[in-house]
Amino acid sequence: MPKRVLVVDDAIFMRDIIKDIFASGGFEVVGEASNGVEAVEKYKELKPDLTTMDLVMPFKNGIEATREILRVDGRAVVVMCSALGQEALVMEAIEAGAMDFIVKPPRAEDVLAVVKKVLGET
Amino acid sequence: MSNPDMSRYLALFIGEATDHLEALGRDLVRLEKGASADTLDSLFRHAHSVKGMSASMGFSSTTALAHRMEDVLDVVRTSGKGIDRPLADLLLSATDALAGHVRSAAHGQPFADTTAVEHELAQRLTLLTGEAPASGAPARQAELPAHPPVAPQPMALGLPPRFSVRVQVSPRSTTPGVRGFLTYKRLSTLGNVFDLRPPLDEVKAGRLTDGLISLELETSEGEAAVVAALKTIAEVELVSLHPVRLEARAAPAAAPNPDGPRVVGQEPPRTVRVNTELLDQFLDAAGELLLATARVREVGKAMPPASRGPLDEAVDSLHSLVKDLHNKVMKARMTPVAVITDRLPRAARDIARRRDRDVELTLSGTDVELDRAIVDELADPLLHLLRNAIDHGIEQPGERVAAGKAARGRVQVNVRRVKDRVLLEVEDDGRGLDAERLKASAVQRGLLTAEQARAMSEREAFMLCCLPGVSTAADVTDISGRGVGMDAVKRAVEGVGGTLEIESQPGKGTRFRLSLPLTVAVVNLLLVDVGDEVIGLPIARVTGVVEALTSSLSKSQATTLLPFANALVPVYELAALLEVPPGATVTGPRPFVVVEAENGKVALGVDRLRGQEEVVLKALTKPLDLVPGLSGVTILGSGRPIFILDVARLVDA
Repeated sequence: MPKRVLVVDDAIFMRDIIKDIFASGGFEVVGEASNGVEAVEKYKELKPDLTTMDLVMPFKNGIEATREILRVDGRAVVVMCSALGQEALVMEAIEAGAMDFIVKPPRAEDVLAVVKKVLGET
Repeated sequence: MSNPDMSRYLALFIGEATDHLEALGRDLVRLEKGASADTLDSLFRHAHSVKGMSASMGFSSTTALAHRMEDVLDVVRTSGKGIDRPLADLLLSATDALAGHVRSAAHGQPFADTTAVEHELAQRLTLLTGEAPASGAPARQAELPAHPPVAPQPMALGLPPRFSVRVQVSPRSTTPGVRGFLTYKRLSTLGNVFDLRPPLDEVKAGRLTDGLISLELETSEGEAAVVAALKTIAEVELVSLHPVRLEARAAPAAAPNPDGPRVVGQEPPRTVRVNTELLDQFLDAAGELLLATARVREVGKAMPPASRGPLDEAVDSLHSLVKDLHNKVMKARMTPVAVITDRLPRAARDIARRRDRDVELTLSGTDVELDRAIVDELADPLLHLLRNAIDHGIEQPGERVAAGKAARGRVQVNVRRVKDRVLLEVEDDGRGLDAERLKASAVQRGLLTAEQARAMSEREAFMLCCLPGVSTAADVTDISGRGVGMDAVKRAVEGVGGTLEIESQPGKGTRFRLSLPLTVAVVNLLLVDVGDEVIGLPIARVTGVVEALTSSLSKSQATTLLPFANALVPVYELAALLEVPPGATVTGPRPFVVVEAENGKVALGVDRLRGQEEVVLKALTKPLDLVPGLSGVTILGSGRPIFILDVARLVDA
């Protein structure tokens, strides 16, 4: 059974890249969200095995959304997605409970290495 | 058998471990005077630190010994049982043994077998706790494999076992800070993190050496859980994971932080260690800058007046900047005397015990600072003076009581700053020096004729003990009394521009007084002309300058005298003292420089005063260093090298 992934990013372009990467790695992308509010709703609805979370988004940023998701499900696996130079925010997200992070622009092998590790698949 | 990848940390390990071991020795001696909880805590922390460092370096026998020491100290600390003399002795031997390991590590030699001390500590531990030490004390070779396969030992208080964890963030990682932080967070979910190295802020900033992070993790989840947790982090490799044996609790009673795991030992460092050679180079460079600036100023003097103004201004501001830099470098080199006096209490105790003396050593003023080079030079001389004071000065308790003195002798080391000098005194209340015996000893060795000895003042006679081979000691001990050493002390003190004086009263005691310059490098000179020569006189030694007609000076027998500050000061012609041709005779008044020489003020007749200049002293090299009366050489802004007079010794010479 492939692992189920929720991709959260405000840019469709970025979501598409990430979706393709997951597809190539044998994951199933079960949902997408373009802001933090939507992300929390989709999470409750889909209960994915993994959520990739953009850091800077309208309405509710990635850190807030991560906090809320973890309040809903303490075992949720959230991986942040952010450009270099935002390490301070990333660490705040990790402090909030995010399990890891992926550097944007994402490279397939890096993303897959990180999520496989996080999911304990290696 | 250190871990090969740790070898780059060796110098740091040696420096820090030595500091901790010295502090241990100090604390132990202090403890004998009365235990305080603070000192016990401090002892424990030092032992703990040494253990942790040795473990990181993979020095297993060092780790085991430090660990055993830590155990004993922990029990002492928590039980409130105190440290008695035999235990203090044992802990001091253990400290020495550890110091021996560190020295061996420094020299790349195999470590001495210290299992005997370790075993003794284990026995003490058994006595203290009434139970056998948890991990036993297996017979140990000089070195064991770095990580003996011992199961973690849950210990007293029901605390979970502790693991030492080292991980490496991949050098390819673009975000080592995040990787490190993730490691820390992931492990924190398993238990409490201690001894995080580097500290958390550094980890988050990604400032890792070779990507390495080490920590101790207290967890009941077990080794497999630690491995599994680390496996979930990309770009992070587990380097080593091993149980920390026989748990010791280094965590101070900090308020538990409900928001996260406690992290101990992540205070940012307040100081950095700088190689002293580098400091020397800084000083040299700053000194050269000063000289170069002075040279530019000289060149400017040859320029037409119209263009000189701006240049002078520029040179002035350059000079003040360079001066500031130079001062800061000098300041960075200033080191408290405590660096070398801290080990004296321990030494005093050892010497006194070996020689059956009862001695109380008091130190004062050890926070006074001196140039690093001077402090370094004085370490051995100071120790020697202490040995002398206890071994020769202080009598046996019985002898003291018979002489109406307290059974316990006193040795004081007092340091104080007097103007631009530092006075360091080592004073005892022992039997005092015997001037006649010193004279006899010197005559016997052919260093002095009987007539010379008779003519000699008491003060001069005391200085005889600084001649090689002269001693008043009736017996030669393993500690001192071979008549070697005092000459070395005198040489060392004079080598840094200091002087040594001895005062002594039979039956009352002896005082060795070292008068030392604060720094060795910069001197303010009064420049004078003598014949064709320009000579520098250190301003610190100059008490005044007087213009007088040669004919107006009074004479007493063969000595010419100059009236100066309600006194008559003997006059010497500098040209005659230096054996240089004198300048043309002047008919009018001429300058006399009154200086502080070894036996009081003297006036030096010179041809002309040139003014003041601050110069960087260059030490004299052979054979000039053998010329008495010279203390150094420097180069003036004009490029002219000049000699600097050792005023104190000039007249004696």
